[in-house]
Amino acid sequence: MKNWHWIVLGILLIASLILEFTYLSDYASHWWNHIPAFYALWGGLGCAALIFISKGLGKFFILSDEDYYDA
Amino acid sequence: MMLELLSVPAIILILGAFVLPLLPERIRSTAFITFPLLALAMVWTMPEGNLLQVSFASYELELLSVDGLSRIFGIIFALITVIGGVYAFHIKDLGQQSSALAYAGGALGVTFSGDFFTLFIFWEIMAAASSYLIWARENEESAKAGMRYLLVHIFGGGLLFTGILLHLSSGGSLYIESIEPAYSAANIFMLLGVALNTAVPPLHAWLADAYPKATITGAVFMCALTTKSAVYVMIRLFPGWEILIWVGVIMAIYGTIYALLANDIRIILAYSIISQIGYMVTAIGIGSELALNGATAHAFNHIIYKSLLFMAAGAVIYATGTSKLSELGGFAKKMPLIIGLYMVGALSISGMPFLNGFVSKTMISGALGDAHLEWPILLLLIATIGTFLHTGLKLPYFTWFTEKKTEFEVSSIPTNMKVAMGIGAFFCILFGVAPQLLYIQLPYATDFQPFSIYNFVEMTQILVLAFAGFWFLKKHLNVSSTISLDTDWFYRRPAVAVRYVFVDLPNNLFGVAEDITLKLAGKLSGLSKNPMRHLLPSFVMEGREVKSDGFTASMSAALAFILFGFLVAILFVLF
Repeated sequence: MKNWHWIVLGILLIASLILEFTYLSDYASHWWNHIPAFYALWGGLGCAALIFISKGLGKFFILSDEDYYDA
Repeated sequence: MMLELLSVPAIILILGAFVLPLLPERIRSTAFITFPLLALAMVWTMPEGNLLQVSFASYELELLSVDGLSRIFGIIFALITVIGGVYAFHIKDLGQQSSALAYAGGALGVTFSGDFFTLFIFWEIMAAASSYLIWARENEESAKAGMRYLLVHIFGGGLLFTGILLHLSSGGSLYIESIEPAYSAANIFMLLGVALNTAVPPLHAWLADAYPKATITGAVFMCALTTKSAVYVMIRLFPGWEILIWVGVIMAIYGTIYALLANDIRIILAYSIISQIGYMVTAIGIGSELALNGATAHAFNHIIYKSLLFMAAGAVIYATGTSKLSELGGFAKKMPLIIGLYMVGALSISGMPFLNGFVSKTMISGALGDAHLEWPILLLLIATIGTFLHTGLKLPYFTWFTEKKTEFEVSSIPTNMKVAMGIGAFFCILFGVAPQLLYIQLPYATDFQPFSIYNFVEMTQILVLAFAGFWFLKKHLNVSSTISLDTDWFYRRPAVAVRYVFVDLPNNLFGVAEDITLKLAGKLSGLSKNPMRHLLPSFVMEGREVKSDGFTASMSAALAFILFGFLVAILFVLF
């Protein structure tokens, strides 16, 4: 990842936050619309949760050797 | 009558499957594309209504029921068969070409069938024809997987047929119409039969087992046809069945977790199908007009981007000979075009604005919002994050961009494969920037507007943060040479014991029975060789042995005649 990649992503995020706090400030069709930057939080936390939950389940019982069914 | 049958698009494709072997090899690939093009034109121009009735026994079968819903599915099935035909243009395998055409014919037949019998027949044609696309890979692994695939689908077809028979015997109509949510035996069997083809867990394991073992070109047809034709049938039969809302959410998350764990690129894409179909099943469960439009639009878009992704994965396998992330890496510079086209599909499936996934996903979440189903919205968003993680980031990163893990040659890819991917990517972008082109084909009129500031804000934040999460946590993702255990464990692991009980044991029992029967038959035939020996046993008279078979021929004849006379006399007395 080069620096300008991060800069582009940062600009996108900031632009979305600006839009959220200006155009969507009184938008409340769901309960979570009251939480600022909710979708950013949900995206970050959801991503981490998925990675660690799948990793845990994989270790627990899902992942197995490639020759599992041949043995 | 025969000529009327030619007005059925499905029959055109199935006829094509029989005509192909009669054509010279050099024009077969062109002919392969001609048939679905013809079917596409027919689907496009057919008027609405029940266009063709056929009498069968005491029933009137509806072979061609056209309405808005069946037309849009017919269009996409025919279109993807054309694109698949372009992708497979270099293939010289007649078996694959014919079975792919018959398979697509089955899907179109299901789409336009107006009664359960027609539906069931085309349903089974699909199962049988698609199995060959797995076997055509011609290695031991795919031979076994193909057999499992076929057996599971025969089982699924059996469930569906049981449901249909129960439905008919309880006074239900032969004609296809939506079924009221009631858990009668007939409905449950039909739902299970359809759910198996829709890949609803725990009936889904055939998909991730079979698709990655199909041929490079066969997988493209498979990822487009079987599950989506089942989604179509589900929209027809079970709209508004509330159980499907949560079934769909579970599917979406389930497929995501397995896709995140997988090491084989086509297994990642296969589990991602299950995840995507979860969205459609959820929408079917809601059952509102917007939701059914959303399910239809998402199935349409899904077929385009998923086949594009499978085509790109096929290109990787074609070029390198391997499909495992644990063996790939470090050749991004050698196939920039393929990566670019793959990323169009990957960002479409992740719901990036101005690509086609966005215009149908927002429709489904809009329908969920209207129905005030808040948790399903949030959980489907988790599945969206996961989709971006495995298809949009994990797969391309570990396939092309990480350091090289093993040595492999990268051979060049036929132009026709690139052209087919280009067509797929074109439609991803076209419907992404001009969603109205898709919306006017949907079964219900809609003024839905996907490009809202709210939707842009939502998807931008989700995708940017998911990307950041991937970048910092990517070392926790599995790329080791492993497989994932799924519900196929229940029929694969005990296979040895099952084989013993159902094959070896009956085989041995029949062997023993055969032995006994043959010995018995031998004894009986010995008896009939010379019955005189038994009727008149040898005896000793005056110290001399008299053998019953030792008489002269004339003496034997006389004795036999006397015996015969006695028998006649006995019969005469008795009766």
